[in-house]
Amino acid sequence: MPSWVSYQFQPAPAICLSSLGVFSVAAAGGPGAAPQGLRGWLRRAYRFATDRNDFRRNLLVNLGLFAAGVWVARNLTDIDLMAPQPVP
Amino acid sequence: MHPPLLPRLLPPALLTAPRGQRPAGESRRQGPCGTRRDAPGHRTGPGGGTRSRRDATAPLIQLPRHRREASAVLAEVFPQQMEGVKLIVTKTLSSHFQVTHTVHMSTLGPSSYHFNATFVGDRQLGPTEAFPTLIGDMDNSGSLNAQVLHLVAERIRTKAVFQTHQTKFVTWQFDGEYRGDDCTATLTLGNPDLLGESVILVAHFLQSITSRLVLGGEMVYHRRPGEEGAILTLAGKYTALKWVATLNVGYGGAHASYYHRANEQVQVGVELEANTRLQDTTFAFGYQLNLPQANMVFRGLLDSNWSVGGVLEKKLPPLPVTLALGAFLNHWKNRFHCGFSVIVG
Repeated sequence: MPSWVSYQFQPAPAICLSSLGVFSVAAAGGPGAAPQGLRGWLRRAYRFATDRNDFRRNLLVNLGLFAAGVWVARNLTDIDLMAPQPVP
Repeated sequence: MHPPLLPRLLPPALLTAPRGQRPAGESRRQGPCGTRRDAPGHRTGPGGGTRSRRDATAPLIQLPRHRREASAVLAEVFPQQMEGVKLIVTKTLSSHFQVTHTVHMSTLGPSSYHFNATFVGDRQLGPTEAFPTLIGDMDNSGSLNAQVLHLVAERIRTKAVFQTHQTKFVTWQFDGEYRGDDCTATLTLGNPDLLGESVILVAHFLQSITSRLVLGGEMVYHRRPGEEGAILTLAGKYTALKWVATLNVGYGGAHASYYHRANEQVQVGVELEANTRLQDTTFAFGYQLNLPQANMVFRGLLDSNWSVGGVLEKKLPPLPVTLALGAFLNHWKNRFHCGFSVIVG
């Protein structure tokens, strides 16, 4: 069984939740499952974004950076460097 | 006073392929800061160790015209990594002959001295093309880089490149290029060895589909005793009024670049490279700020290896002197290098 399944249905510790202002213990399939799923998704997304050994991840990230770089080049670089500064 | 030479003679260190061209089989350059922008030879591979992109001792397999032009444009935008102190003195002896002395006091490796001589013939086809052209560069250890460019016929050009490391030949390369009205075909022989039965053969063809779109392909064939292989790469280039985009896709990976000229002062280059053999991808963003009123040019770089760098070039009129200051920082590897150059002439 994938590890995220057991994680999703694991009740959250009361101490941790109380520190966040939540006093109820999460139950399997209850409202607490959504934060668990969201936390798991965020954790997987963070691992994906920072795993430099994953070629697919590197390709997707650099492809996104390339697209962002092209957008910046086309839209944000028409600057007159010798223009006088605006007077307030 | 001698009339000036061609405005853009090949600089002494530009005996390797332009930026972005990697020598066959090499990964992108790994400079001291881990920057990937200094690949020797084929822009390929901003190279390893302390080699800069334009290291004259690096192996060389140059690509034909359109890819070389596209890479050369990007090469002008991205800064060269600098370390140590460099003094370059250029003297024009006549309208055909120029010599350059380069002294490099390095902080990473042994210091060096280079002597470069350039001869340009009478047949001038353009502002930067004249034939025959002979370029020779020798360093203090006896390593030689030599290039000969000759126009055999109106549409046929040939080039020969020789590189030695002290007394041993490292590279001997012969190019033949045919330029048609709307196409270019090039054949390159790299290190042909009849006795050793080894050769690297590069065949390149580019066809202009429209006035803006160029499509083509390249095949690299290598042979050694007991081993041979070929790699096919498809290439495309689209040229607009203010920007140029290129895409090369092949078995070994893909390379995409975008060059944008925002105005007379600002130029931007973006590059993406994916190497399936090395399972590696890199991204780089570079820009050039040109202020002729201030006699200043600044080039900046940011890439996916967490490297940032910049080079500032400042002319010092009325003296024929240019001062260049550069610094590169690799955040991931926690490395920093800086240097400056003085260019006279």
